Amino acid sequence: MALETGALLDGKYRILHEVGRGGMSIVYMAINEKANKTWAVKEVRKDGVLDFEAVRQGLIVETEMLKKLRHPYLPSIIDIIEDESTLVIVMDYIEGIPLSKVLSEYGAQPQEYVIEWGKQLCDVLSYLHAQTPPIIYRDMKPSNVMLKPDGNLALIDFGTAREFKERKVEDTTCLGTVGYAAPEQFGGLGQTDARTDVYGLGATLYHLVTGLNPGSPPYEMKPIRTVNPRLSSGFEKILLKCTQRNPEDRYQQCFDLRYALEHYEEIDERYHRKQKRRLLIFSLALLTSLAFLVGGFWTGRESQKLTSDYYEQKLDEAKQSTDYQKKLELYELCIDMPDKGGVPDAYLGMIQLFKEGDARFSVEEANILNRQIKTHLKDLKGNPRDFSDLCFEVGKLFWYYYDYGTEAGDNQIARMKGAIDWFDDAVRYAPEQTEKTTMATVYAAIGTFYRDIAIKTIEGADKGLYKPFFDQLKELIGTVAADKEESEIVRLELLELGRSALQQYAGRFKADGILEIDMLNMCETISQINRGLTTTTRKTEEMKSEIRDRIIETRKAIKAVFVSGGED
Amino acid sequence: MEFIVSASTDIGNTKRTNQDSYHVRVYRTGEGRVVFAVLCDGMGGFDYGEIASAYVVRSFFSWAGERLAGVLASDHPDQWLRSDWNSLIEYCNGAIARFASRGKHVIGTTLTAMLITQQRYSIVNVGDTRAYEIAEKLCQLTKDQTVVAQEVREGILTPDEARRDPRRNILLQCVGASEEVHPDFFFGETRENAVYMMCTDGFRNELSEEEIFQSLHPDRLTAWEVSGETERALINLVKQRQERDNISVITIKTF
Repeated sequence: MALETGALLDGKYRILHEVGRGGMSIVYMAINEKANKTWAVKEVRKDGVLDFEAVRQGLIVETEMLKKLRHPYLPSIIDIIEDESTLVIVMDYIEGIPLSKVLSEYGAQPQEYVIEWGKQLCDVLSYLHAQTPPIIYRDMKPSNVMLKPDGNLALIDFGTAREFKERKVEDTTCLGTVGYAAPEQFGGLGQTDARTDVYGLGATLYHLVTGLNPGSPPYEMKPIRTVNPRLSSGFEKILLKCTQRNPEDRYQQCFDLRYALEHYEEIDERYHRKQKRRLLIFSLALLTSLAFLVGGFWTGRESQKLTSDYYEQKLDEAKQSTDYQKKLELYELCIDMPDKGGVPDAYLGMIQLFKEGDARFSVEEANILNRQIKTHLKDLKGNPRDFSDLCFEVGKLFWYYYDYGTEAGDNQIARMKGAIDWFDDAVRYAPEQTEKTTMATVYAAIGTFYRDIAIKTIEGADKGLYKPFFDQLKELIGTVAADKEESEIVRLELLELGRSALQQYAGRFKADGILEIDMLNMCETISQINRGLTTTTRKTEEMKSEIRDRIIETRKAIKAVFVSGGED
Repeated sequence: MEFIVSASTDIGNTKRTNQDSYHVRVYRTGEGRVVFAVLCDGMGGFDYGEIASAYVVRSFFSWAGERLAGVLASDHPDQWLRSDWNSLIEYCNGAIARFASRGKHVIGTTLTAMLITQQRYSIVNVGDTRAYEIAEKLCQLTKDQTVVAQEVREGILTPDEARRDPRRNILLQCVGASEEVHPDFFFGETRENAVYMMCTDGFRNELSEEEIFQSLHPDRLTAWEVSGETERALINLVKQRQERDNISVITIKTF
């Protein structure tokens, strides 16, 4: 049968296009022309499967079972069609995006959403567990959950879980393939049951609310408030209970978990304090509403104006303060104010703060900045010009100050890689081309060169990449490094970047047609700018003298390439 | 500093194919002689594990042919190695996953790559193949990326419990079957008169640390014939002890 675009399946379903590819199957979108309704068609190709009979048995049992299921958060299976070469399953076409994509694009999700999603997933898992025999999903992870345009979820993909269950224990397997598997899923530690799904759901919610994948290093689930102190302690307790090693210590059923999620505020430490406050707020509200009975619709505008003043006031306070922690708290407070997430000022203040002092942009600082920007992305994008400028500043912060991987020394490459996406965004969102976007393009191109060069060389596709790289370096050195207004760290970093590139790639530059004189000229420019540069800190003084010493070697390296006549 | 290099592999007692792959090579560079060794333990049905392990070994050596000399000549070889190896692993991971998506099987491989220069060694590790340094004592240079090793580090299991745990063959990640791979890197100074040993889990499961230390001691491995014989003797011993996996070992003696 082997499906292809345009084919008519079973006289009913017209195959439109491929929408996804799994371990052993391809999913197409199809339309039933008579009923004008779209379906998803999953094709399991027999030639792609080594032991098809086993798979087929499993699939038939499974799909027969799934065919009977009807739940708003599950795709319904409509039809199963089989012939010699393929097995085809026709089911609801789910519109939407997987939560894994939501995570990669927007980072950690707001707690209220995650709790709401948690409740929906509890519902659908409870439904599955209530079947006879119970269906254990076993493969809960964000990529298996679709977020539909109406805001509800759908649980997809039932194939993979079973496969894992039947795996032989002595074979080496890789955790990356099984989502956030509970300890008992590895075999030898007891049966999987409803509590296995409680674990998987807990891990999924953890990933959604923290943005940290429990299946990546350091492979742990910390209490969520150590990641983000603003999260609820009640929710933290729930997630810790879900992900206990011993199934006995978890919620025993999904509806227990659902109940807990509904009442998470009550197990919150702040709950009791809040209860008291609530009473007070209620009385105040009663009073004010009485008062505004007279003032009427003024209230809306008044409160808006108050927030604005408050923002300015706190921003000012942050700028005045000399205490790092205090400044950071104030900037974060400003960003979190209602309607203020899209205003760049507080972010820029924060960037300034991260540059100051030790002139190091730490990994923790990067996490804070990333989280804040991702959380308010929608608001920020509402003003593309400001957002583009902000991205440019963040890009520079990564490029010149990022302190990643200190154990390997000064990790210039990691810094440049971290900056690429920011510079790309600075270009993408800018309403028109400016000097800044030109700079951003150059930065992004150099970063991309460093990121991709190792792969390009093994593919033999590196030739021709060196000339543009050389030109971009020249451009940056001629503008930014030569600019006396620019900060000394930025200027020195650029000089060093140019120098080390000349040293390492002299042979490749030559092969790409760069002349000796051009390289030596760049050397000379670097040397000159370096000499004329006044340093004010010990760090920059060291950088300066290193460049001065090393440029001699670099010059020799260039000359050697042209004397020997060979490459490298 | 000079090197004596040797490597041996065996299909073992029960497997139908040998899915381990390795390659070791001595390069002459501007910074003197260096040894580059890559060892991979593939997994996946039929011969597919071998496809993955061989692919990664080959990719690392085509990288070495093109870039090794330049990287060593640069000012910050450690950070270049880290950056290049990270990209290579990401690249291989994608390529193997694309290949695997054509069939049903999950295909992947562990990876231990080690570069030994006159001054330093650099290791990148994914999964549970290991690198050791044997001098006055046996020292494991890599950290296993397995579920049980993680639990030992967290204090949940004792090393002894980990050996018997039914989950001992579950890797935290591997090249080819993880969405993202986060390799571990290890850097240190190369010692003279030491043996650097790399092995798959099949080699070490049935050997005690003391046995490894005694048999592969630098004073014993005086010539490459001796290294080879010792490796094969240890492999035979492991097979007598009913090891079920493929068995591979690489030794690099410095003197």
